[in-house]
Amino acid sequence: MTVYITSTGAFLPGPPISVGEVEGILGAVHGKPSSLRVQIQKANKIETRHYAIDGNQKTTHSNTEMASNAAEQCLDRAFLTRDKIGMLAVASTQGDLPAPGMASMVQAELGLPAIEILTTHGICSSSMMALKAAWNSLRLGDHEAAVVVSSELSSRLLKKQRYEAATESTYASKRIDFNTEFLRWMLSDGAGALLLQDKPAPKGISFRIDWIHGFSHAHALPTCMSVGSAGLPDDERTWQDYDTYGEAEKAGALLLRQEVRLLDNIVRMGVDGYLRLVEDGISVPSEINHFLCHYSSHHFRDKILDLLDAAGVGIPEERWWTNLYTRGNTGAASLFIMIDEFLRTEDVTISDGDTILCFVPESGRFNTTYMQLTAVSS
Amino acid sequence: MNDGEIAIDGSLGNTEPFDSKNERVLNPHAQRCLQQLLRVWLGFERDLSTVPLLRRIDLGTYTIDDHLCLLRNLRQQVIEGSRWITRTASSFDRNHAEIRSTIISHAVDEHRDYELLEKDYVASGGDLNDILGMERNVGSEALHGFLMHRSSRSNPVDLLGAMWIIEGLGEKMARSWAERIQELTGLGEDSTRFMTYHGHNDGDHMERFYDMLDEVCVDELTVRSIIKTSRVVARLYRLQLEEVEHELE
Repeated sequence: MTVYITSTGAFLPGPPISVGEVEGILGAVHGKPSSLRVQIQKANKIETRHYAIDGNQKTTHSNTEMASNAAEQCLDRAFLTRDKIGMLAVASTQGDLPAPGMASMVQAELGLPAIEILTTHGICSSSMMALKAAWNSLRLGDHEAAVVVSSELSSRLLKKQRYEAATESTYASKRIDFNTEFLRWMLSDGAGALLLQDKPAPKGISFRIDWIHGFSHAHALPTCMSVGSAGLPDDERTWQDYDTYGEAEKAGALLLRQEVRLLDNIVRMGVDGYLRLVEDGISVPSEINHFLCHYSSHHFRDKILDLLDAAGVGIPEERWWTNLYTRGNTGAASLFIMIDEFLRTEDVTISDGDTILCFVPESGRFNTTYMQLTAVSS
Repeated sequence: MNDGEIAIDGSLGNTEPFDSKNERVLNPHAQRCLQQLLRVWLGFERDLSTVPLLRRIDLGTYTIDDHLCLLRNLRQQVIEGSRWITRTASSFDRNHAEIRSTIISHAVDEHRDYELLEKDYVASGGDLNDILGMERNVGSEALHGFLMHRSSRSNPVDLLGAMWIIEGLGEKMARSWAERIQELTGLGEDSTRFMTYHGHNDGDHMERFYDMLDEVCVDELTVRSIIKTSRVVARLYRLQLEEVEHELE
């Protein structure tokens, strides 16, 4: 069974927030401006982003609401009645509730009766995991339509109160704790949704899903992006091992961390995965018309370009397309938000038969995922 | 490099070892070979993270004792390195004069590098006699045996695969180990001179490497032999590093 993306939707909460306004939303820790913010923002080159919290760090939209809003928009644009939807797959780094799975909550919000659901848990690549599972369900003929949603509300992890409460953490004891602060100036909120069907939409452009592949390197490489541990090499406790959640928070075990030193591995493993696909004849670089690459920061764009070129599998820069700089790095939601805007932007002409390569690397413990789409116009 | 001083907009851990900036055009076989070599390298580099001693560099628990152990074990490899490389040069006939010259000059650059290692060892607090008295570890035996065997065959072009891995590692030591080791152990720059010096030198070596690859890698059989040797060397080199903590009596 051939499967198509026949509709898309996105939801970005609140107004676009400029570089200078970010700390006003997330809050200055202990009232003191961050000494790292400007440096990190300069490197990622993100101009505007959105947050689902306000300037008092109160949540304005839940993760479930954002996911549902994106799905609603996607379904409103679809040539399909909702009773045809057999499956809902939802991806997020952290739903509103640790349990049950986020798909249950989003299903309830959308009011879709008696469907099959799936929640995927991970970081950026959880979107591809959800998409692949839904794609496979349709390929097997289990359903004729599925909605896949990815949504992120990372600002709740990044607000000043989290850092102020981590009184016994590396963040409190070091003059500068780059690893703990890095993602604070990188991530923001948003949601994207895709509708999959076993036939193309009757009007406009649909994207046929040609293949989805992933390569995870957790067997060899250490954890690079995580929440749940205090970030000390000799301390193996994770957040639930502390006597109280309060103690875990004090120790900094609930802060989001990035081992910045290990980050270059994601570029290498990203290129490694693409070389595997080229070697196996699955992807042909010269046949790619559009490259939608989820890179977390402009900093990594050139590194990926250079290494792909060095391997002789470079994709010319004019074929790259991203909305990172205006929509922010929304983690798992990024690719779907990107596909949604790519389909609508006037910057790019998408022609029947165009090949689109999508790449979502995840630095968590180095999972790299790839998808090829072909544009089909009705 | 301190936590607060990561130059994120300039370079985060420096650039990749395989610079693509200069527009080099390789013949199609050499290009395909380079693509596969890059895959072998990326796998090798990733798997180095599984070597316990090197993982401690990643995790931040690497100690002075670890460093002394690493240097003790590297010395034999460096001494043997100059031997197989000169033997490789002498195994090329006159139809391969160009590559022979390149390899000879490479050997001249490096054949006394082990002296630098000995100085680093002493600067790191080690006793010179300990490093001088160190014999090859189990992995070094296997690696050296393989390289001497291959380099004794006539026109051993497959050893480009060995150079690729070993030069790449030199670059990696300079790029991501040297400074990090100093930071973790509190040792000075004089504890990692071999790593730093070797890495800088290897930039030029990579240029020469691409020229050699373009010259000799002109058919599918050669591609396969270079790739095979690169895989064997990658595996044996990692074995050598895995064996550093099993010092022989």
